[in-house]
Amino acid sequence: MPTGVYVCHCGLNIAGVLNVEDLKSFAEKLPGVAVARDLQFSCSDIGQEQIQKDIAEHKLDRVVVAACSPRLHEPTFRRAISKAGLNPYMLEMANIREQCSWVHMDQPAMATEKAKDLIRMAVAKAELLQPLEPESIPVSKEVLVVGGGVAGIAAALDLADAGLHVFLVERRPTIGGYMALLTDVFPTNDCSICVLGPKMSEVYNHPNITLYTYSEVLGVEGSVGNFTVSGVRRARYVDEKLCKGCINECASACPVEVSSEYDFGIGKRKAIYVPYPQAVPLAACIDPKACIGCSRCAEACPADAVRLEQEAQDFKINVGAIIVATGWQPFDAARKEEYGFGRYRDVITTLQMERMLNASGPTKGEVVRPSTGEIAGSIAFLQCVGSRDATVGNCYCSRICCMASLKNAQLVKEKYPDTDITIYYMDIRACGEGYEEFYIRAQKLGINFVRSRVSSIQEEEGRISLIYEDTQNGEIRRAKHDLAVLSVGLEPDSNAEVLGNLLGLSRRPDRFFEIAHPKMRPVEAHIDGVFIAGCASGPKEIPISIAQGSAAAAKALKLLHRGFLELEPTSAYVDPDKCIQCKLCVDICPKKAISVKSPAYVDEAACKGCGSCAAACPVDAIDMRFFSDQQILAQVKAATEVKREFPLIVAFLCNWCSYGAADLAGTSRIQYPTNARNIRVMCSARVDPSFVLEALRQGADGVLIAGCRIGECHYKDGNYQALQRVNVLKGVLEKVGLDPGRVKIVWCAASEGEIYAQDLREFIAELKAMGPIGTELKRRDGGQQPDLAQPGNGPEEGEKP
Amino acid sequence: MSAVTAAKDMEFKSEVLRLAGPEMQTCIQCGTCSASCPTAHLMNPSIRKLVKLCLEGRKKEALHNETLWLCTSCLLCTVRCPRGIRPKAVVSALKDIAEREGVRGRDASYEEFFLKQIKSNGRIAELPLTAEFLLVYPQAAVQSMQMGLELISKGKIAAKLERIEGRDEVKRIVEELRE
Repeated sequence: MPTGVYVCHCGLNIAGVLNVEDLKSFAEKLPGVAVARDLQFSCSDIGQEQIQKDIAEHKLDRVVVAACSPRLHEPTFRRAISKAGLNPYMLEMANIREQCSWVHMDQPAMATEKAKDLIRMAVAKAELLQPLEPESIPVSKEVLVVGGGVAGIAAALDLADAGLHVFLVERRPTIGGYMALLTDVFPTNDCSICVLGPKMSEVYNHPNITLYTYSEVLGVEGSVGNFTVSGVRRARYVDEKLCKGCINECASACPVEVSSEYDFGIGKRKAIYVPYPQAVPLAACIDPKACIGCSRCAEACPADAVRLEQEAQDFKINVGAIIVATGWQPFDAARKEEYGFGRYRDVITTLQMERMLNASGPTKGEVVRPSTGEIAGSIAFLQCVGSRDATVGNCYCSRICCMASLKNAQLVKEKYPDTDITIYYMDIRACGEGYEEFYIRAQKLGINFVRSRVSSIQEEEGRISLIYEDTQNGEIRRAKHDLAVLSVGLEPDSNAEVLGNLLGLSRRPDRFFEIAHPKMRPVEAHIDGVFIAGCASGPKEIPISIAQGSAAAAKALKLLHRGFLELEPTSAYVDPDKCIQCKLCVDICPKKAISVKSPAYVDEAACKGCGSCAAACPVDAIDMRFFSDQQILAQVKAATEVKREFPLIVAFLCNWCSYGAADLAGTSRIQYPTNARNIRVMCSARVDPSFVLEALRQGADGVLIAGCRIGECHYKDGNYQALQRVNVLKGVLEKVGLDPGRVKIVWCAASEGEIYAQDLREFIAELKAMGPIGTELKRRDGGQQPDLAQPGNGPEEGEKP
Repeated sequence: MSAVTAAKDMEFKSEVLRLAGPEMQTCIQCGTCSASCPTAHLMNPSIRKLVKLCLEGRKKEALHNETLWLCTSCLLCTVRCPRGIRPKAVVSALKDIAEREGVRGRDASYEEFFLKQIKSNGRIAELPLTAEFLLVYPQAAVQSMQMGLELISKGKIAAKLERIEGRDEVKRIVEELRE
């Protein structure tokens, strides 16, 4: 296995500190090395050509480049060696610039010794490299959008226009979501359904969209590129194609009247109904809970469309990506008992106000007191009902309610200029284009603003009485109004829970779906091929929901448009002979990529190669194709082969954050001691406890594990898993008589070079206080314990926590 | 016009936070507590302002007021606070600090006289108790005159101080509770 080693000068960046000549002659003598050279700039064309020439001349089958960080030039050298006919994965880099010459500028001798260890580690790993072939799999060019609100509609239309086929699944009998029920919308006060209605029809008529309304997703299998989705289309008891949407013929014959969910309790509908005149599809449906089966509708229908015998139909579709646009539901105002919603008829919610203001709503646009039917002369708006409220478990701001109340107050004031309107608010949050101007407009219209939070509502002499403290002048007051409007907050739609569980989506503490990164990946889920748009991931205004729908569509398009997916060949794989089907890996996989079908099976399309399963497997049945157990153990062994300094630290750094932090310490020239020998892993969760025990057994004085900051793992929760393992490991160390402080876990973001350096300095100081490995055993046994620093002489520590 | 610099005692602030809980720092001054308080109309500062005074380290204003002693511990403030703060715990914390530092409001003095009689006699008699209290706070006589006369006319005011048996035990109980 002839290996070529190339030590880069990088001008004086490396050669100015390290003795490159010495490193080259050191590398030459390492086992398996056929040729070693020092190159001025290995990444330059001349450098790359030299490597390619050697591959041909010396029949090299693997290459080690000791230069900068692999995060910088690994792709460059992979390309270079593959041009010379080598498999691109037969490359290993030793990071002797960012993590050596740049951070030990004042200790060139020790830095050169450290660089030798890093090269020895790289050569040892290189010896175990296997050629890997990126696999490409065919993908379905169809997309499932769940939720037909404004976000789902935006996503579906963009995808369909781009030529992908879309299945749009909506739980209700019509698409349009909450936006279709609103009156005018802020900040321009244009009619909501007038702008949404045409989009709804476009969805219905688009040749690339299959619309399943009154339907639900019940099962999801497969992974990115190839999901199999099953679901049910519930019976409408009306033939959708035959129904003319004339609304009144059937409904006027129906004898059953119930409260309409589309009017939030202030309007009525029949057991057979069309949700609202602009519904899409414009077809009636029968509410089976209300219907008494009298068949009068069937007799009345001029198109003969009623089908009382209709049954639910299952559907099964194959899609490459799934967009979750399941939206929100209003906070249940009755939970705030002190406000008397449900007890006092003149206490209503924002949505009831929206329906009253809506010209096609139950009051035909009149704002009346439900108790008397008279026009309300004095109206109170109470903000933050069910938002920013720890007593109901909703600490978040619902974002839209300030603007919604400002808008409704303006609409009322414009319609009835004499109405006395007061908005009781804690803070007015009008952050958005044109929003603050909208607030000013409301003030100019003569709407009153009182900074307070109403403590309770009572009914007195037929009027609504509020108690509050006007916090701007410190007076506790009672105010009487005809109507109180509770500005209810937004909560995640409880019906979406099933879909969330099917897809394995995670939730934030506020119960909305969590996105893959709170800033950088706003519409991606943790699961590959799944995207989240609109209020499913938190309260949002209409324009942002539309933007997210379009963004999710673009992401799905990027994923599927070529018709195939290229997979990084770095996934986990299972040795079926060893697997005991304990399912531990299934539970911990952040990508839900593992299933146990006797034995466990890794879906390589879904696997992202974090390696947590390999670390967790109690029988070592799972290994990684890249960063394998054997490769990492070889690095550990090489790092501890010659012990030239005390304390000697083996450090495992996660690729995304800590390794980046260590690189940044280099580019920032932050100086720290030379004691650590860094091993790159994809995630801190990859660190198998046996790696740590092996490092200590081989004579390392301490082991450092560094991951992304808690809550910021690039896979999901790998750092929590690492932390859990380290805690167990500390217990094991204590049991065998070693100081548990010899294993340390730290968190640093890729921007925290100084924190990484500081953590390392602290760990070195702690280890110095402990003394070399085994000191504590000698102390305990009066010096009788064999020296752990001698490989093979340590106590048996093979057990795995 | 010149702005007045308030004296800030950050040690006092930390002590209140320690006793009443760190969530107190998340107060947004919405006034739900004061608006929920059944004795708010008698209080100055209001319970909302009291929290703010503590957070600003304004020890003197936070301790020298009647608000602390008017709290009936009904806990409505604590049940309704949208930030999960316990304003009642803030009042208790301030009472503890006042007790420790010998700050006595009118009501605290009344409680003191009340306990003194219990300790020595095992029970109280209204007339001697009122007399002792009015000696220190004569202004309270004006407020309570009418009610006092009505009570006397109905024989509700005991004039004679009676002693019960087992006074030593009562004394022990009072002393143990004080600790």
